Amino acid sequence: MPPIGELTILIPIDVSNPDPPGLEVIDALRPFEVILLGYFPVPDQAEPALIKHEYEDEASARLARIAEGRDGVTEVLVFTHDREATIDRIADQYDCDAVLTAGDTDHIEKVLVPIRGDANVERIVSVVAGLLGRSDATATFFHSALEDAEPSQGEFLLRGAVERLTEYGIDGSRVDWKLSEEGDPSQNIVAMGTAYDIVVLGETEPSLRERIIGVFLSTLIDEIEIPALIVRDVE
Amino acid sequence: MSADGGELERTLGFLEAMTLGGGTMIGAGIFILPGIAARNAGPASSISYAIAGLVALLAALSLSELATGMPIAGGSYHYVNRALGGLFGAIVGWGMWTGLMFASAFYMVGFGQYIVGPIPGLDGRHFVIALGLLGLALLVGVNYYGTDESTALQNWMIGTETAIVVLFVAVGLFFIDSANLTPFAPTGPTGIVATTGIVFVSFLGFEIIATVAGEIKNPSRTIPLSMILSVVSVTVLYVLVMLVSTGVVPLEVLGQSPIPVSDVAEVSMGPVGVAAIAFAAIIAAISSSNSSILAASRVIYAMGRDGLMSDWFNESHERFYTPHRAILTTGGVTALLIALGLRVDTIIALLAEAASFSFLVAYLLVHVSLVVFRQADPDEYDPSFELPSVLYPAVPVLGVVLTVVVISQMATVIVLIGSGIIGLGVVWYFAYARRRVVGEGLFREAFERTPAETYRVVVPVANPETQHGLLRLAAATAHANVERGTPELVAVNVVEAPQDTELQNIESARLDHQRELLQNARDIAAEMDVHLRTRSPVGPEISASVLDIVAQEDADQLLLGWDGAVGEDGYAFGHTIDPILGGASCDVSLVNLSRDSIGTPVALVAPGPNAPVVARRAYEFATVEGTRPTLLYVDASGVETGSDSDGADESIVREIADSAGLDTDEYDCVVVADDEVEEALMGAIEGYDTVCIGLSDRTDGSGIVYGSITRSISESAAGNVALVRGTKTGR
Repeated sequence: MPPIGELTILIPIDVSNPDPPGLEVIDALRPFEVILLGYFPVPDQAEPALIKHEYEDEASARLARIAEGRDGVTEVLVFTHDREATIDRIADQYDCDAVLTAGDTDHIEKVLVPIRGDANVERIVSVVAGLLGRSDATATFFHSALEDAEPSQGEFLLRGAVERLTEYGIDGSRVDWKLSEEGDPSQNIVAMGTAYDIVVLGETEPSLRERIIGVFLSTLIDEIEIPALIVRDVE
Repeated sequence: MSADGGELERTLGFLEAMTLGGGTMIGAGIFILPGIAARNAGPASSISYAIAGLVALLAALSLSELATGMPIAGGSYHYVNRALGGLFGAIVGWGMWTGLMFASAFYMVGFGQYIVGPIPGLDGRHFVIALGLLGLALLVGVNYYGTDESTALQNWMIGTETAIVVLFVAVGLFFIDSANLTPFAPTGPTGIVATTGIVFVSFLGFEIIATVAGEIKNPSRTIPLSMILSVVSVTVLYVLVMLVSTGVVPLEVLGQSPIPVSDVAEVSMGPVGVAAIAFAAIIAAISSSNSSILAASRVIYAMGRDGLMSDWFNESHERFYTPHRAILTTGGVTALLIALGLRVDTIIALLAEAASFSFLVAYLLVHVSLVVFRQADPDEYDPSFELPSVLYPAVPVLGVVLTVVVISQMATVIVLIGSGIIGLGVVWYFAYARRRVVGEGLFREAFERTPAETYRVVVPVANPETQHGLLRLAAATAHANVERGTPELVAVNVVEAPQDTELQNIESARLDHQRELLQNARDIAAEMDVHLRTRSPVGPEISASVLDIVAQEDADQLLLGWDGAVGEDGYAFGHTIDPILGGASCDVSLVNLSRDSIGTPVALVAPGPNAPVVARRAYEFATVEGTRPTLLYVDASGVETGSDSDGADESIVREIADSAGLDTDEYDCVVVADDEVEEALMGAIEGYDTVCIGLSDRTDGSGIVYGSITRSISESAAGNVALVRGTKTGR
């Protein structure tokens, strides 16, 4: 059971945007250590050092404005040709347990937690516990069973997750679960997402990907309207 | 100074570097030039390609070392500029820029020829030129708007193109008619070497790996490996293409063809082959031309960084973040060169050879630069890949010799054009850049030994912009000791970086900073007639780096800037200064400059080992503004004796001044008799701009002893304060 206080969350933000979001969501992520990654996308045509020279002050001021008044936030500024590669490298370098994708919200009241048979379900639960620990937010675990799967398997998984969460001291009344036995898992999650403030997802099968946000997740994240917290499988 | 501002991402692995290098190289060169090469050297033109490949390989070896030592944009230009100074930097910079424009124009004319070629009835020079211009306009447009993460498409295109060429060679080998290969070398060795000069353009592109060194992952391995491997494999491919071409199609036909490879494919592979080759040639021309435009803007950027080019070129587009001005200018001149094809019959060979010339000159100077870097061995040059001892100095020497041989056989008109471009670089340097350039090059350092008798003052500067005063003081101090040796000022700027910081971040931070440092320091040194050297070591601890330099330089004096704080946060003078004071064995002065003017310094002297050093410093500092220092002595025991019998006190001061090497007319002597020493001192120093006080050299373990007088003066003196310590005994 990973202790909540030791979890680190990476929040990437495009600092080339003159008016970046205020990232109120950081306040909701208080219990965690936050790495605020300001990346400046550099086109193939330009030398990263050129853009760094011109925009470094501006970009770091934007980053500082977001971090201002929030402790426990580490700022990292990177000029990059490849955003994804940077996110992966920084997540690795700072041992981040989860990555927040684009999107902002000033309150987290309802958390959606779709789970598969993930190996890192422990870590996902600990991140959810951290989110719920200092607020009155509620969480819903969700599993979309594949058509040929045994239905009780999904229920077992969900009940286990709920139980784990209560072990962190979260009142059972704030947690529920939903099992879906039909439809496309990814579409189900997108549809449910509209009623929640944030979604916590496990990263895709590590053996099949080189990057944190693989193909499955990136289509899901593109479609879902709320911020998503991707929990890495760092073991 | 630290490197923890914005980081630069490394995104290129070995495969990306290989496709980048190989893809840029395999361009229009191999599709267009076999005809011209065959005309000039017959089947032996394959040897021309082999020689050109060897020249490229030697350059790749030297560049690998330089690139891992300085992973920063600019490639050859940057290394030459650093090693040989602004004049050669300007020559190579302009040479590379124009060379890339020649190459780009060459690729686009070839592009036109291959589109027009396979469609019967469309032969016509106007059409070729129009297509070339259209293609160029498209490329410039795309690069103006900017692309990101387009590598997947590029890799696919380059992969297809390479596969087609390999297939062409494999099939073609079976169609070689040995009758076509005799006589093998109709023009003899001179013809072969002269052809090398034309076909060298086909190898442009491997250097791009060095140019993007800052973005390459695991550079010490990837850079040399991908450069060498891509040059070698491309050379083998070219030699085979040339053998197949001359072996399959008779010389008379091949030599006259604008699209030679396509004609060969027609024989060996039929119409499908022709279409495939045309496709590959078009892709090759586009990708090579594109890389050239981008490489050109990198060179311009690097020149702007060093003050050799107007920064106007390097303002990125406010929305697309592309260096749009550099791209448009390069595109504009390239378009003119293409349009020249309407008038000049042999434009394609001319463009190819002119581009070759520019880069041959650049690589020649790169070899020289490598030798200079090895000889001068500056602090920041620590390449992670070094040429092994069997290859050094063989590689640079052979590289220079071979390049000279190739250039010597080039057409007169090319040598004239090339010399014109070199002349342009020279004129540009003297007319525009000379006043703005700050680097001097390492040439002098590499081959000139400093004279034995040098009086050397080391001055660490953290912020070159604000530490004008400190540098001026250090320069004056060095100059005041002219009779003890040639005055030399060593300005040190430590790039503070944790041990594991990526080199490309350090290098870019160092350059940004060092430029200002050099600019300020050079002006001051010139004004004071002091020889200046600058050093910018990289290390995790400023104090350790400074101590290293003091020891290496065998410094006579160390001048440290200081904020005036005493005994704060458990440090005597600060966490950087304390260890330096403890470790430096030479004379040390801590200077807190609170006023712009040094004015008239006053030295507080009392009998003791430090007193002559304090007096000496006051005298040296006084030379900044040509004043005369005051030596002040407060006598606490002599209150009753009255002011008339100062003789004893004055002789104490005279003695101190004498051992400091000061004549009686070089200072004023003031003696105060008062038993309240501290109060008397504070009163007496009022009105002086600078106070020099001795610092005890007794050290208590690692701690530094300072007296209460030192402390109160440091805290309350209105003017500048210098704490002076003599050379540690036992030196």
